[in-house]
Parts: sequence; C-alpha cells; structure tokens
Amino acid sequence: MNMHTQPQRTPAETALIDAFGERLSLLPGDGAVMLKRDDAIEAIKHGLPTRRIESWHYTDLRRLLNAVPDFDPAAAVKAIAPIVEGSAVLAVLNGVSNTKVPAVEGVTVQRLTEKLIDGSIAPGLDPYGSDDAIGALNTAFVADGYFVDIADGAELDKPIELQNLQAGGQTHVRLPVRVGAGAKAIIVERQTGDGAALVSSVSQLVLGEGAEVTWLIVQEQPETATHLAQFKAHIGKNAKLTLFVMNAGGKLVRQEIMVKTTGEGADFKLRGINLLAGDTHSDVTMVLDHTVPHTTSTEVIRNVVTGKARGVFQGRINVHQYAQKTNAKMACNTLLLSDDGEFSTKPELEIFADDVVCGHGATVTEIDHDHLFYLMARGIDEKSARGLLVKAFVAEVIEELDDETIVEALEARLDDWFVAHG
Amino acid sequence: MPAVQETIDRVRKIDVDQYKYGFQTEIAMDKAPKGLSEDIIRFISAKKDEPSWMLEWRLEAYRRWLTLDEPTWARVHYPKIDFQDIYFYAAPKSTPGPTSLSDVDPELLKVYEKLGIPLREQEILAGVQKTDASELEEASDNVYKSGRVAVDAVFDSVSVVTTFKKELAQAGVIFCSISEAIREHPELVKKYLGSVVPTSDNYYATLNSAVFTDGSFVFVPKGVRCPMELSTYFRMNEKNTGQFERTLIIAEEGAYVSYLEGCTAPQRDENQLHAAVVELVALDDAEIKYSTVQNWYPGDAEGKGGIYNFVTKRGDCRGDRSKISWTQVETGSAITWKYPSCILRGDDSSGEFYSIAVSNGYQQVDSGTKMIHLGKNTSSRIISKGIAAGFSQNTYRGQVSAHRKATNARNFTNCDSLLIGDQCGAHTVPYMEAKNSTAQFEHEATTSKISEDQKFYVMQRGIPEEEAIALIVNGFVKDVIQQLPMEFAVEAQKLIGISLEGSVG
Repeated sequence: MNMHTQPQRTPAETALIDAFGERLSLLPGDGAVMLKRDDAIEAIKHGLPTRRIESWHYTDLRRLLNAVPDFDPAAAVKAIAPIVEGSAVLAVLNGVSNTKVPAVEGVTVQRLTEKLIDGSIAPGLDPYGSDDAIGALNTAFVADGYFVDIADGAELDKPIELQNLQAGGQTHVRLPVRVGAGAKAIIVERQTGDGAALVSSVSQLVLGEGAEVTWLIVQEQPETATHLAQFKAHIGKNAKLTLFVMNAGGKLVRQEIMVKTTGEGADFKLRGINLLAGDTHSDVTMVLDHTVPHTTSTEVIRNVVTGKARGVFQGRINVHQYAQKTNAKMACNTLLLSDDGEFSTKPELEIFADDVVCGHGATVTEIDHDHLFYLMARGIDEKSARGLLVKAFVAEVIEELDDETIVEALEARLDDWFVAHG
Repeated sequence: MPAVQETIDRVRKIDVDQYKYGFQTEIAMDKAPKGLSEDIIRFISAKKDEPSWMLEWRLEAYRRWLTLDEPTWARVHYPKIDFQDIYFYAAPKSTPGPTSLSDVDPELLKVYEKLGIPLREQEILAGVQKTDASELEEASDNVYKSGRVAVDAVFDSVSVVTTFKKELAQAGVIFCSISEAIREHPELVKKYLGSVVPTSDNYYATLNSAVFTDGSFVFVPKGVRCPMELSTYFRMNEKNTGQFERTLIIAEEGAYVSYLEGCTAPQRDENQLHAAVVELVALDDAEIKYSTVQNWYPGDAEGKGGIYNFVTKRGDCRGDRSKISWTQVETGSAITWKYPSCILRGDDSSGEFYSIAVSNGYQQVDSGTKMIHLGKNTSSRIISKGIAAGFSQNTYRGQVSAHRKATNARNFTNCDSLLIGDQCGAHTVPYMEAKNSTAQFEHEATTSKISEDQKFYVMQRGIPEEEAIALIVNGFVKDVIQQLPMEFAVEAQKLIGISLEGSVG
C-alpha cells in the first residue's frame, strides 16, 4: 500500500474517505463483502482519477468532483410514474429499496441489502480494473438496490422499471439482473431526482443463451447532481442485447458501459442520445469486448451540445485474438450548437484477430446549412427549423427501436427536454 | 502496374533476410566516451565549434531533461533504455568539413553507393566522361532515378556531404547541415530553432535538444520556389551509438520546398536509439512538403535488435494561407513512436498527413498525427493506412482539435488497417476535440483483412496468390503513395513488398 502517491487529497477525496469511516457500521454485509469494501476504499485513498489516466482523459474526476454532499437519511423522495404504463416498478428511494415488490410471473426479486448481508453478491463487487473509480466508489458504499432474476424461457409482456430516485445527499445503488436462457424482457432504468446528490449506480446484466433483452437507461438528473453510473453486461450464446441510453441531465455525469460477448452468436446494439445543456459535463464511455468468434455489434451515438456544456464520448471496441469473424461498427455524430460548448470524442479500435470487419465513424458539425435553407424556404422560421432538424437528428435513433410503446415513451421524454431547453 | 511485378521479383530474390541495408562498414570513427553528462554536451558543442549561446541552449535542455520521466502512454513495450550505455557522438574521422567529394573517405562513398544514394550526380550532370558503356548506362539510370535531387548525407553523428549547394545558393536557398547553419547563419537558427518544438516539449525532444549532433537546415527565402527536391539520407553505422539529428526547415512568404528523408542502419543484435526532432516553419503563402521513407533496421525474425525510433516532428503553419504536408512510409524500426503534426496557426492554413505504416515480425508502431486548428478557416486532412503482419502491433494515434477561435475548422480523417495473420494487432486511437460550433470534423476508420472475394477476383484472372495479395496491398496504400515525389513512390512500393515478405500467401 502506497499512501504517498497523491501528495494532497482534494476536499472531495477527504470527504469520501471520512464518510466511509462514519458509514462503516451502517453498511450491510461482513466478511467477504467487507473485504471488497476495504479494497475499494483503498483504491479511493490512492486518489480519484485525473486526466493522466487514459480512460479519464476528458473527465478529470479529481478536478471536477469538487464537493461531496453528506448522507441525508431524512431526504424524502417523490414517487414517479413509469415511462410505460403498467410496468412493474422497482424503486430505490434515496438509496433504500422497497420492502414490498410487485409480483411478476417468472421473475424473482430480492432486495440487495439481503444479498449483501448473506454475502452472496460479494464476487460481483470487484471493480473492472485499476482505473475503475465508479466501481470502487460503489463497492465501498453500496447499501441497497435490487437483485432481479428472470427465469429461463420467461417472456415478460410488460417492462420492468428500475427507478433510482434521489433527493440529495449520497446514494450508492447496485442493480444486478440475471436473464435466463431463452427469456425475453424489456427493462427500464430510470435515474432521476430533485436533489444535488452524489449518485453512484452500477447495473450488472447477465444474459443466458438465446435471451433477448432491451434495456433502456433514462437519465434525467437535475443540473445540480453528480451522476456516476456503470452498466456492465455479459451476453451469452446467441443472446441479443439492445441497450438504449438517453442522457439528459446532471451536472457532472459519467455513464460507463462495459459489455462483453461471451458466447458465439451474441449480438449487441447500443443506441444513445446525449442531450447536453447548461454548464454541465457529461461523459459516456463504452468498452466493448468481443471475446469469442462470430459475434456482432453496432453502436450509434448522437449528441446535441448547447450552452456551455462539455460532452465526451469514448468508445473502445476490443476484438480478442480468438474472436474471428467479429463484425463491429460504431458511429458517433455530434451537433455542436453553441460556441461555448465543446465535444470530445475518442472512438478506439483494438484488434487482435485478423478475420474481422470493424469500423467506426465520428463527426462533429453544426446544423447543415442546406437543410436549414430547405426548411426556411418553405416558410418555417429559423428557430423552428433548427428545432425540427435537431429533433430529427436524435429521434432517428429512438425510432430504430422496434417496440412502439417504448418509442412513444422515449419521444415524450425527448419532447420534455426540448421544452425545457428551447 | 509494373511496380507490382517488381515488388514480387524483389521479394523472391531475397531468401532469408529481408533487410538489405543491414551491412556494416568499418570506418575510422571519432567517438565521445559513452554516456551522457554536461561534459559530453560540452564535448559535442566544442567538436561542432559552436558559439556559446548554442552550448547554453543545450545545457538548459539537458538540465530540463534530467527532471523528466520517460513517457509510457504509447502502445509500445521495450526494456528500459540505459542512456549511460550509448555513444552520443560518433563521426567518421576523415571529415574536417569536406569541400568536395574527393575529400570524402572512399569507404563512406561506397556505403552510399551501396545504398543507392546519388551523391555523385554533380559528375553525372557535369558530363564527366565515361568510357565504359555499362557505366554510362548506370549513370543515366542514376540520373533518371534521382531526377535532380540535392542530398545531405548524415553518417552517424555528422553530415558528410551536401550536394548541389552552389546551384541552390544561386536561387537563394540555403541547404546545409545544421552544424554549418549554426556557424554560418546564427541569426536564422537563433530565430527559429526550438520555436516549433520547444526544448521542454517532451522527453525525447528535450534529450535531442541537449545532444543533437547534426541534421539538415533548409531556408527558402521569400517568393522562391526551391528549384529541386531536397533530401537527407541518414545512416546509423557505429555500434552502440544513438542518432540524434535535428532538422529545421523554414519557408518564407510564398516559398515552396519539397523535402525527403530516408534512413537505414546495419543489422545488430542490440537495440539502437534514434531520437530526432524536425521543425518546419511556413510563413504566409508558403508550402512545405515533407516526405519520409523510414527504413531503419527492424530487428530479426525473433524481434531481436532493431532501432528505437522516437521522433518528434512538427510543422507550424505560422503564416496565413500556408500549407504543410507530411507523407510517411514507415516500414523499418523495431519500435516507432512518432506523430508528425501541424499547428494551423495562420488563417486559411492547411495541413495534411499521409501515412503508410507497415509492421511485420515483432515490430511495434505507434504513429499518427496531430492537427491543431487555431486560425480561422483552417483545414486538415489525414489519410493513414496501417498494415500489420506477423507478430507486430500497429497503432494509429491521432488528435484533431479546434480551438475556440478557430471558426470554420475543417478536418477529414480516414484511417484504415489491414491485418495479415492472426497473431498481429491493429489499433486505432483517434482523439477529436471540438470547441467551436462551426468546426466540421469527420473521422472514419476500418479494420479488416484482405477479403476472400477480392483475392478470388484477382486470382481467377490467372494471377498467383502472392502476386494477388501484393496487388491488393498496393491498391490499399495507393492514396498515400500518390503523395510521394515520383522518384520515391516506386521505391516505397518496393519497400512495402519487402517488409511484408514471408507474411503473405
């Protein structure tokens, strides 16, 4: 253990370390879980990542995380309606899960506290790597969440909505989901609230053979919250995962997506829209590992940057040596609409197999003048014309999703954002 | 495409050993003691007969270097370099500044003859009588090959000869070794040296600033179009030496110059260090075209030996409407770490980067470019083609950034990788940073192997497999080859064929 790597701790680092000392007795789990927590806080003691850590190059967490709020057990959270009517809602209210959960056929739900206390979740608490600050932060402090198990062959007709709602303070939530062989499900992950909280949330998904899941992350934190989230998935043989991420809020946001194809025939689709406004910083970082032969993936990310917002997209596709016949494509398009905004992108390919087809494309541009002219020549004023074009740019990604109710629900969220941000 | 056939023939001729420049030459050398210290720097400076300001500049860089750590971010792996085990100065003994070719050690001339470097073109052009018919043929062949190219030949630490100096001087162009420039044109050197790559820039650039021994200096005055291609040929010969050359090219208002560098080294089991710095300055309306054919010894089939090529190259489009274009063909070196960059400072300036990086055996390449858009209406274009074979790792790392005030910055990037064999790796790491809403950046990258369809298409027309692959590879790199001066395009094509020998088919 080397305590001297960071010469001076930032107030945020000190606050986190102090908070750990104070919370220790309240955190569920002992033995194996406690050992993981100890390792995690040690990692934080070594300092939060700076831009010198390659994976944090554009999000210098040590500099950007300048205050950490205290835990606030008194904060009250307002319940919200699910985006799709009739969904089974599993809400985590300010870091605490409900004791009563709705019964859905083929689905077993357990409060995460219980899994922490009995220690059965311990193996899944390991961070992703030495630069996994979000994983470490969450492992150190995680107190609750839900463990969801969808039985083999179960086909859910309504979505499950996992809500993580905050009202200030700190919340550290974990949402592990196992989907059995051949099962089909739509899972919505809502991340919102109305406080200036520090939120860490880790979702872990394991897809069994032939399972098909659409997972939607809808992040609408207020412009005062710090949101550090992670989505990790293993896609088994012939399983399909469509992940949709809508990032539309938060003051400091980092959404990590770590996906691994673990069985032949696995398919991964990522569709993402990042709507950035105000004086905010939002980072979406994806690491996709193709570890076995014959797997496919496509990623489409659309970003809209307004105000003084700073946006980041990092996407790395790793094709391992034995992952022959991989087909992976990634596109990241950005509309930079204000002179004070900025966007940085780093689409990476890391390829160790030769019989593959991999590609990525990235663009950063403003609204096409020809398109604007076309609309304005038809009597539409500039503001409306711009609005139409920007909305079409992101709506295109949403419309690709098959399920009509989902498309409508997401478009409604999109409309809300446009109303709020002109 | 006759060049393709030539590639095949060349590849066939070479049985086991692919590297044809691996010979060593015994030449009496003047060396400084091994290692690095202020005394060694004083020694180098004294050997070069430098003014005191130059020595101070070097010492300052050295003191700075002592405070720096070796960079580790690149995707290259190698044992730690022992800087005290390197000769920082080695020069052929017989060169107290040769005035004509006849003063040059004949052994040295033989080296360049073997390498096919035309140092004797003065004779050829002056019509020196040849009695032997075959010699005549050879002579005319040389003329054809070299066109009219002025050459500065750098052997280990010093420049041995620079050709066509007189003719260039008539046009007002200064083309000489940097040591000579420091003595003869101190005002120009003082003004521009370190103005693009400051002494504190990075670990290897700082080291270079302290110990650079020679390199080329080009100054093209206002309104002059340099009448011929300029070229420098670097040869590392002596054991355990490092080569630290420094090149400075200045194109004044409206000037144009095209410059080419080539390099080779003998085959040795130990690794040798090459840390060069190249600075380009383009003023208003000036254009500099810089081409590199890098063919340092890449190491043997087991990855033993080879050159560590850690190079800092940067061009500064200082003037409005200036243009800098980098073209590189990278086939040699055990490890390559180089990012020829453009700082687009002047309004309406443009930068280009065309690269072919071929890696085979255990070579590691981490190369790319930086396009820093600072001025208004600047544009840049990046075309990078990586070919990885054997056990090699080939990385493209590039950065494109638009500053807040760089309105209408425009970039197009295309980097494609081709993988031959399943033990190699190809990686693409582009960084795009837009801080301006009028910036327009496009980036595309692909990685694939030669498709069976393409191969089948060519082969079913009666072309054997090896030839078919060479044809497809040449097609893959065509965009970049086209950017090279004609004389070198053919050479580069051959070089790629040779580098891939043993990996195709």
